[in-house]
Amino acid sequence: MSSVLELLAQQFAWAQDPVVVARQTLAGVSNGMLLFLISAGLSLIFGVLRIINFAHGALFMLGAFIAVSLTGRVPESAAGFLAALIGATAGLAVIGIAIETGLLRRIYRAPHEFQLLVTFALVFILGDAAKLIWGREDHSVAVPALLGGSTQALGLTFPTYRLFLIAAGISVAFGLWIVLHRTRWGIFVRAATMDRAMLSALGVNTRRLFTAVFALGAGLAGLGGALAAPVVAVGPGLHVQVIIDAFVVVVIGGMGSVMGALVASLLVGIVNAFGVLAFPGLAVVLTFACMAIVLIVRPWGLFGIPE
Amino acid sequence: MTADGEPILRVESLAKRFGGLQALGGVDLAVARGEFRAIIGPNGAGKSTFFNTMTGLLRPDSGRVIFEGREVTGEPPHVLARMGVGRTFQITSVFHDLSALENVQVSLLAHARRAWSVWPQASTLYAERAQELLALVGLAGSGGRLAGALAHGDQKRLELAIALAGRPRLLLLDEPTAGMAAHERIESITLVHRVARELELSCVFTEHDMAVVFAVATRITVMHQGRVLAEGTPAEVRARPEVQQVYLGESVTPQGGCA
Amino acid sequence: MSPSALLPLCAGIGVLALPFALSDFWIFIAIEVLAFSLYAVSFNVLLGYGGMLSFGHAAFFGVGGYAAALLVKKTGLSAGLAFALLPIVAMGISAVVAAIVGFFSVRRSGIYFAMLTFAFQMLLYTVALKATGLTGGDDGMTGLKPPGALAQPLVYYYFALAVVVPALYVLFRLVSSPFGYTLRALRSNARRVQYVGVDVRAHQLATFVITGAFAGLAGAVFALSSGNVFPGWLNWTASATPIVMAVLGGVHTFLGPALGAAVYVVLEVLISGRTEYWPLAMGVIILALVLLMPAGLTGLVRARRSA
Repeated sequence: MSSVLELLAQQFAWAQDPVVVARQTLAGVSNGMLLFLISAGLSLIFGVLRIINFAHGALFMLGAFIAVSLTGRVPESAAGFLAALIGATAGLAVIGIAIETGLLRRIYRAPHEFQLLVTFALVFILGDAAKLIWGREDHSVAVPALLGGSTQALGLTFPTYRLFLIAAGISVAFGLWIVLHRTRWGIFVRAATMDRAMLSALGVNTRRLFTAVFALGAGLAGLGGALAAPVVAVGPGLHVQVIIDAFVVVVIGGMGSVMGALVASLLVGIVNAFGVLAFPGLAVVLTFACMAIVLIVRPWGLFGIPE
Repeated sequence: MTADGEPILRVESLAKRFGGLQALGGVDLAVARGEFRAIIGPNGAGKSTFFNTMTGLLRPDSGRVIFEGREVTGEPPHVLARMGVGRTFQITSVFHDLSALENVQVSLLAHARRAWSVWPQASTLYAERAQELLALVGLAGSGGRLAGALAHGDQKRLELAIALAGRPRLLLLDEPTAGMAAHERIESITLVHRVARELELSCVFTEHDMAVVFAVATRITVMHQGRVLAEGTPAEVRARPEVQQVYLGESVTPQGGCA
Repeated sequence: MSPSALLPLCAGIGVLALPFALSDFWIFIAIEVLAFSLYAVSFNVLLGYGGMLSFGHAAFFGVGGYAAALLVKKTGLSAGLAFALLPIVAMGISAVVAAIVGFFSVRRSGIYFAMLTFAFQMLLYTVALKATGLTGGDDGMTGLKPPGALAQPLVYYYFALAVVVPALYVLFRLVSSPFGYTLRALRSNARRVQYVGVDVRAHQLATFVITGAFAGLAGAVFALSSGNVFPGWLNWTASATPIVMAVLGGVHTFLGPALGAAVYVVLEVLISGRTEYWPLAMGVIILALVLLMPAGLTGLVRARRSA
């Protein structure tokens, strides 16, 4: 028995070191913010359009690649990075409009397997399109000089970019909250997650609403990708990996809830950051197990609407 | 087995609450064998909730349901069906993708506990008996037609055939004439009444249309706001002042909404 | 001989004589078609007949493949004995896994059911990826060979035929039986079917287990033919394959998905042979299918016949 305790003590030895704890928490929170940018859009798209957008990871990836291209000529320049952020967000919003009006609109009334197939098709097409345009190797984006290096806070040293990511995530979350709770359009969106039929009966142009929601979700994913570009390997296959954690987040947070996406993203980000220390191989299994447990016990997640 | 005189269905203080709304506030009911019992009441009286709670679609908060002397409170629908309770729905509920004949065959197979039979070809099983049941409800020639393509009235007949396939001893019909034109309604309930007499079934049905009720019911239970207001023979109930008050000003044409 | 018996008879003779007209390479393709036909048809029993859209059917195909690989490589049994046990072991292990997954998944319906099957598939994928000692990890398991004469493509083709055709026949008897009728009724109106005395959850679980077992058998047959099995067989992108095959062939007939499997496999071989952008091509084909030919290939044939 004491040997088991010893083993556990070893696994968690790092917990005694405040530097390690602080560093992992920061990493977890900043990763959580990136996760939030993908998941918020994914959750809204499901809540309003009732479509599980498997291609959302591909949209994130395209945002990262756009950032690669836009900063390529002016590495480390703050202006270049800003241009990349704007370009990725706007570019993906436009792509989102094209996808929704050209494709998704036709299948809203189709059986679910058709909707699934369409988003899968987008995964395959966008994935290969990225390969064709940007090649098969991994790319990277240099952290802009302004945001590079480290910062002192609370007696500890943190990478500045990570702090920036957290600030950016909080800003976006705040911005989304303002839009959803303080604008007329936002109220329609929240109403749509609860009762779509009612909304069109009230005379709201649901077609344009759907397009706008998808564009918003795509834009957020693009922004997330661009922000993530300095800290992840931007290459083919990125779109397959990132979507998985996003699904876990959306299920735990509640499909259709932005607040749920935020809370769950931070949760998953932090659990992953510490899980990697405590149970290196099994951290991934933990996230899927959580997803399954939530679906079994409380499928509408933390903040979703019980059906 | 029940002794003579034991009601086929007994409900004691059945209660169900939805959030702030007490949908059923302690309902008592006793239906004798061979009765044709009507449950009436204005919209919102709790009739559909009563049916759903009795038959296991909803869990009651308190109270008991006793069928043929056995307690069945909260048992799921498929258990009740196997015990001999049949049900039809207010909004017609048939197997749209299957033919009318297949609809009845499926019910016969399920009742014969053969739903798990994996080897025999089902198309020939019980085909004759299914055809008989279709004829009983007046759908003799429509066996090959897709259930979803049948006219509304015919779907109601099909639903009756499906319920009868289970050889029930008690039939619960939720607004069996909902959605029908006036002249169809009497015809429809008369068919149910005739079939029930022929097969020696007890029936409990909810209804809005008084003409229909007074044409066939042997006893009437009046519900109001989740409770039983009055009960008795049609003549007795008609004379009660509380009943008249509840229905005062109500026209005789059916509403067709949920109770 | 009646005309309606002529077509199946010719098809039967054609299938039996086929390998003599093909090169070794194309015999392997024909074996792949057989395995994937079983895979697709089993999936369609779940979807087309049972109305259950599973995002995790690929898990059972993969489990069957790994079961075959482990049986041949790690049990130390003689090649002949291992091979003789192959169908039972593959189906048995897949059935057990399907029972566990299904037990939790069928408690939910619709989107939650689908996401649960997805979560379980990803759990199994992670196991395949990380349990390096057992499954070979990322490298998968290679060098799988059927014993003796069966290693020759021609002979293995007849083995595959001897496994797949009876399996398809069993599934056909299943959907034409009272069990199958009840399944269709369940798909049509789950509430009503309860009231005729059917335990919906039990029926769905049984269907899930049976179809999972046959998918596992298909995976085992394919693994020994292609000689390897990889974790990628269980990745979420692999979930698209059975859906594409079923919809391509047509979900409204029993053998439609088998036709879809044949077309899919041949297309994949032809296109992958010419370009590395098979996903792109597949995506385009899926979109064309969904938008232009939703009833699948068999739907086209039926439309022609009634026109």
